[in-house]
Formats: sequence, structure tokens, C-alpha cells
Amino acid sequence: MLLKRLGWALFTILFVVILNFFLFRILPGDPARQGIRDPRLSLETINAIRVRFGLDKPVINCFETLNPIKIGSCGVNPLDTQFFIYVGNLLKGDMGTSFYYNRPVEEVLGERLWNTILLIGAGQILAILLGVIFGLFAAWKVRTALDYTALISGLVAWSLPTFWLAIILLFWGTNMGLPIGGKATPGMSSYPFMDQLGDLFQHLFLPTLAYTIIYMGEYMLIMRSSLLDVLAEDYIMAAKAKGLSTFQILKDHALKNSMLPLVTIIAINLGFTVAGVIQIETVFSWPGLGGAIFESVGRKDYPLLQGAFLLIAICVILANLIADLTYSYLDPRVQVD
Amino acid sequence: MNRKLLYVMMIIALILSACGGGGAGKPSVVRIGWSNGPDTLNPGLAWLAESYTIYELIYDSMYDLNLDGSFQLTVADSVSVSDDGMTYTYKIKQGIKWHDGQPFTAKDIAFSYTLYKNRDDFPTLHSYTEHFVSSVAPDDTTLVLKLDQAIPNIESRLVFLYILPEHIWKAYTDNAAEFENLEMIGSGPFKMKEYKPNEFIDLSTNVDYQSGRAKVDEVIFQVFSSPDVLVQAIKTGQVDMITELPNTSVEALKTAENVKVAVGAPFAPNISDIILNQVDPANCPPEADGGVCSGHPALRDKQVRLALAYATDKEKLIDVVLIGYGTPGIALIPDGMGEWFNSSIKDFEFDTAKANQLLDDAGYKDANGDGIRDMPDGSRPLTFRLNWPTSSIVAPRMAELLGEMWKEIGITLEPQAIEDDALTSKCCPALDYDLMLWGWVADPDPATLLIIPATDQIVTGYNETGYSNPRYDELNVQQGTELDHAKRVQMVWEMQKIVHDDVVYIIPFNYKQIQAYRTDRFTGWLDGETKLALEDVTSLMVIEPVK
Repeated sequence: MLLKRLGWALFTILFVVILNFFLFRILPGDPARQGIRDPRLSLETINAIRVRFGLDKPVINCFETLNPIKIGSCGVNPLDTQFFIYVGNLLKGDMGTSFYYNRPVEEVLGERLWNTILLIGAGQILAILLGVIFGLFAAWKVRTALDYTALISGLVAWSLPTFWLAIILLFWGTNMGLPIGGKATPGMSSYPFMDQLGDLFQHLFLPTLAYTIIYMGEYMLIMRSSLLDVLAEDYIMAAKAKGLSTFQILKDHALKNSMLPLVTIIAINLGFTVAGVIQIETVFSWPGLGGAIFESVGRKDYPLLQGAFLLIAICVILANLIADLTYSYLDPRVQVD
Repeated sequence: MNRKLLYVMMIIALILSACGGGGAGKPSVVRIGWSNGPDTLNPGLAWLAESYTIYELIYDSMYDLNLDGSFQLTVADSVSVSDDGMTYTYKIKQGIKWHDGQPFTAKDIAFSYTLYKNRDDFPTLHSYTEHFVSSVAPDDTTLVLKLDQAIPNIESRLVFLYILPEHIWKAYTDNAAEFENLEMIGSGPFKMKEYKPNEFIDLSTNVDYQSGRAKVDEVIFQVFSSPDVLVQAIKTGQVDMITELPNTSVEALKTAENVKVAVGAPFAPNISDIILNQVDPANCPPEADGGVCSGHPALRDKQVRLALAYATDKEKLIDVVLIGYGTPGIALIPDGMGEWFNSSIKDFEFDTAKANQLLDDAGYKDANGDGIRDMPDGSRPLTFRLNWPTSSIVAPRMAELLGEMWKEIGITLEPQAIEDDALTSKCCPALDYDLMLWGWVADPDPATLLIIPATDQIVTGYNETGYSNPRYDELNVQQGTELDHAKRVQMVWEMQKIVHDDVVYIIPFNYKQIQAYRTDRFTGWLDGETKLALEDVTSLMVIEPVK
């Protein structure tokens, strides 16, 4: 049955590939001009640039271009149209050339993706750990001062506008001497490895903190309410009656069951945050995927956006697949079908 | 055994690095913050000013552009021009070396110019080779450049044609647009040390530079993704200079400790304009080329355009839109372009009464009493569509102010922002608009701006107003071939006067470049010149650490 799941995932990705391609052909934008009108640009140059990006070929049979819609010949060789050239290249791992950077899209995205994974990896782990711990305490000490404090701070953290929190942290952190942005202090590549690692941690600190605060609140609230539900079950009462310690009840009986809703949220978040840390990446000049998407929208760098969207779609689909599998591991009653 | 060796090596390396740091004195590193990195390191493909900043530091070209707009020879000792003005012979300096140690010769120059000439997919640099017939190097110190006509501005054509090493680029002559050029071997005053796209560029000083080395050891350009972060970076001293800051942050930064704000004309001529569609239906591009020409007929009447000019309060626009950091715009050539700018033009004074009088006299009365003037024949009201590109930061506020100002003379606006490319297709050569707020960034030579209102540019889409004047066209051709500098300046001045007097455009203001630097780190920043570009090679060659 796992095979069926994988089949659906592949089908969805294929659908995204097609949708993505046509979506960006409908949008306005001309790589030969980049929104710049320049009296130095001659018509021959504009045409030469179009040829370089393969835009001189018809989009697909019967259509020259989609914006504006220009009907073309239906008799052209399908393999010589932009669509099939794109699909063919994609199969070879070639996502096209970025209009803006004039570099292969997969190279640009590859560098950026690892930076984002580093940031959200650190942030998610911290957010999950802290969220689960605080949620656990809040639920166990329900309706005490501890619970209320956790509840209110969780709500506040969850509802804070990300960019606002990030800017406040930035001003606070840089006055404390933390680096203001980027992933590394420029010019340190010849330093010893440990120095570079320390430098990376310094740069990671503020964006990770912002990320952790934003997501921790959400995880804590979900953990708390789901644990409260579980703790009201009869089997917990039975466990208490058996004389088990609080720690044992939480660890062996309550925690695993109350994790189920959290797993879903984490999986969905993981998929989306690959793109969704745009605000944090922008404020802290973090060279990640979110920042790349944000910049590319302004630059109308469609091949890059097309690649980024595909990457995000794959991440979301993968995260969901993993969530399904984890679910059945945590709760054997759930079958992957 | 191996591991032991590794430890020994590590210890030696540590000792060496400690000695190196202590013994030679700390290298002086200039840190510059900007909001964009270069788009590409391949000079043929660049659009962004940031890319050209880096090229200026790493490469040499035949001429350097000074901050006052003049040029000087860089890699040549002398130049001689043939009597017909069509052959330039440069005597190239001896002993120049590429960053990788190979000798730099006239052959490299000939190779580079030929490459630019042949690559018609190089968007901007290719255009400078327009009149080149051939460039050859008969020997290592002689370059002969042949043109197809005598032109007055060879310097401004060669200044951006960066000289590339033939021994590296010859492998890419057929696919030069795919070469990423990450090593960036040049012959300029700085060498590429490390490049992380969209993070930073680290340049080290070329100590063997032919005309003397820079006084600093290293220059780092770091990207910060928002202007507010740039301001914070200079306040906390994490950078020594920032290339731009929002006009709204100037006051706050002026009071910051050890920070100086510098204001001047931008390095690249930059004009902002109110574009008036005045195309004569007879000059409308053919429908097949996209001509629509839906402009309001009143804008074809010079009296209406004059009234709009008189009713525009430029001081107020500068105060509100630019928070005071601008100068009133007068001519198509901005005032930062030195001798090319026609400083004798007297601008239309802000005078609403006079504007109303002009419209009254020309017969634009409010026929139906709705507060909006109508065409003399009563056919339609003076309601103009006003469009601007969505990427413009200043345009929305400007549109609002213009709406208020022109309401005073019975003219209403229908303001609407349009996405840049969509506006381009409405604009030119379709001429499917009434008024637009846009602008141009141009070359150091005035020719690129002056060509815009020429009649033959209506169909190509650069003449965005549809203006046509035979005298202007004649002057435009003449200034393009006039070799007598003084005479050419005179022609350029006359052309600006024509554009001003006919109200082809209303130029609301000229931008000011605003930058800031730390006073406690380096001294000698060139912030007292007409043009301001502290990131330019001119400043970076002369600054030195504060003692």
C-alpha cells in the first residue's frame, strides 16, 4: 500500500510540474528587458537574449506565447517546444537558467536550500523540544499559575507578527554585539574550522531564536490541549490507580498518544517552512530559499521561481508522506493505505 | 601515524597563523554594506550598478571615469587619432600583469573588443561597439581601433568595455554568455578573493597594480536585505560604509556617533520624469508594430502642457517625496552631469494663477460646471490617466500630490499603478496612456538621454512621449558626429532648451545619492565632489585606516 502512496505523490509532483510551467508563461515579463527600458538595447540584442533562454521557440504546439496569447502552428515538432524541452531537461536534473543570475537554477537553489534547512532544522528542533516540554508542564499543572503563564505566553508568541518580532530581535541582538545578518562573517573562510563554526552559531542565533519563538507557541498550545484530552481518559485513571508515578504516567502512557496531532502540524509546517521563513530570512539577510523566492518575485526570475515552487511542492509532499508513516508508527491502529 | 602528522601540522599551522597575524600588523579591511550584490560576474551579462562597481575594481578599461565626469587613460600611455577621426592608436603600457601573473598586452584588449563586438547577446556592453570596424594589436604595446565614422565620445564607449584576459576567455568565445567567471582574473587594483552570491564579495588589494596599490588591504561588500538593517549595521559599526539609505533614515543617522552622512549627485545620471503623451496621430507607429496612440488630445496642445508645468510645485514634491534630498528638475540632462547640463535654462515658476490663465486663454473652459475643464469643443473633460510602474517607491506619493496641485487648475487625474512590464507594453511604442511617472538611468555621455525624444525613436519605443521636432532630430544627428567638444556642448544645451520650452517632459526633481560612513575607521572618503559614489574605485584607492 506504500507503493500506492508513492504513486500518488509522484502524480502530484507531475501535476505541479505542468501547472508551474504554464503559470509562469501566463505572467508578464521579458528576460531580455528585465523591466528595464534601455535605449542602448537593440532589437538584435533582444532577439539574441531570447534565443539564449530558449524563448524563441513556441511554448507548446498551437501556442507561440501565452502572454499575450499568440496562436502558432500546431504542426511543429512537440520536442522542439519550450514545454517538452523543459520536461526533458528536468528529467536530466536541469531546471533551466536563472534570468537574473545567468546560472543554472539547480545550483542557485541548491546553495540556498541547505542554508534554509540549517535554519529551520535548528529552529524546529528547539521549537518542538521546548513546545512539548512546556505543553507537558502546562497540561500537568492545569489551572495553576504555571499553566496560565504558559498559556498566555504561548498565545502571544503564536500571534506575534514574524517580521516585527524579527526586527525587534535584530535591534536588541545587534546592540548586544551579535552579527546583524548573513550566514557568516565575510573573509573568515581561511580561519580555523572551529572559529568558522563559532561564527556560524553567532549568525544562527537570532534567526533561530525568532523562528523558535514563533513556532514554539503553536506547538505548546497543541501539546497542552491534546495532553489534557489524553489525561482525561479512563486508562490514565487506571494507571493512577495502579500507583504509577507522575513521570511514568506521562512518559509511558500519555505522551505518545498526545503526540499525534502535533506530528501532523510539524509535518505540515516542515513542508511549508522551507518557503515560509521568507520574513525571517529577509530581516536577517539569511541566504536561504525564502529570501530567494522573495527576491525573484521582484526580479521576475521565472525559471528560478518555477524551480523553487517545484522544490517546495516536493518538500510538502514528502513531509506529508513522512507524517503518514510516523503516524502509523506512533499509533498502530492507523494503517497506511 | 597519519593522525599524529595531522596534529603536528595543525599545531604548526596554528603557530604560523598566530605569527602571521601578530607580525605583519592587522590587515585593514573595509566593510561595505549594500542591499544588492552583483547579478553576475560575467561583465557581458550584467544589468545592476552593483555589478559594474565590482568590475571597476577588478578590471581595467581603456579609460577611467572621474567623479567630475572627465576621463583619463588607464592602461595606455598615449592615444593618437587619425585626421578623419576614424582610427585610434593606443600605446599600451608595458609590464602590466594579470592577477594570475600572465602578461597583459594589447592583444588582450583587441581580443576583448572583438568579443564584445561579436556577442550580440551581451545586453548592454555590445551596444558600445556600434561603430567599431576592427580592433587589432600589431604588437604587444599597440592597439589600433578602426571605426566606421568619426564619433565624439570614444571615451564613454570604452570606459565600460572591461579588458578581459584572452588566455582565459578564448575558450568561451562561442558561448561567452554561459561563462560564470567566478575566478574573475582581471588586471585592476583589486583581486577576487571570495564570492558567495547574495552574501558577500571579498576582494584583496592587488599590490602590484600598475599605477600604485590601494592603501587598504581588503574590501568586503556584504548584502543586507533591507535598508533599515543597513542603517543598523553602520550604527553598530558592523560595516564602515553603506551605499544607500532611505531618505527617512537620514535624520536619525545624522545624530549617530561616529557616523557621517554624505549627500551628492548620483554617479550614474538618473532622471525622474512626468511623461506626457503628445504623439501626433500622423506619427503613430503602425498597428502592426503595436501603435495604439490613445493619448488625450489636450496633451498635444503646448498650452495645456505649459499650464501643467506652471501648476507643478517642484519644491513641495522634493520636500514631501524626497524629504528634501533632491534638486528641482529642469532639463532632460540632470544637473549632476557637469558641463553637459544646460544651467542657463530658466524653469517655469510655480504659479497656479498663470496656469489657469493659460488654460482660459486657450479655450479650455468648464462647460458643464462640474469643476473640471473641458476641451474647447466641449467633447471631453480634461481628465488624464496617470500611470506608474509598481516597482516605483516614490510614484504613489507623487501621484497624490500632482492630483492635488492640478485640481487647482481644473484638471483631474485617474491614478493607477501598473506592473512594470505591462506598463512598458502600454507605453512604447503603443503610446496607450496619457501621463506616466517613470525615469531613466543613463551613461556618462549625454547621447543616451538625448536620443529619447528623437522622432525615429517613436517606433522603437524609446521616444515615450511621441514628441517630434525636425530641428531636434537634426541636432541629435549632429551632436553624434561633432568632434569639436565646445560645439557639441552647445548643441546639447540647445536640445535641452527645446525639450524644456516645448514641455516634452515635466522633470519634477533630480535625485540625490545618500550614503554614510564611519568616521572612526577610515579617512579620505571622497564625499566633497559633485558626484557621490564612496563604493567607487576612486574612493577605495585613497582611503586609509584611522591612526
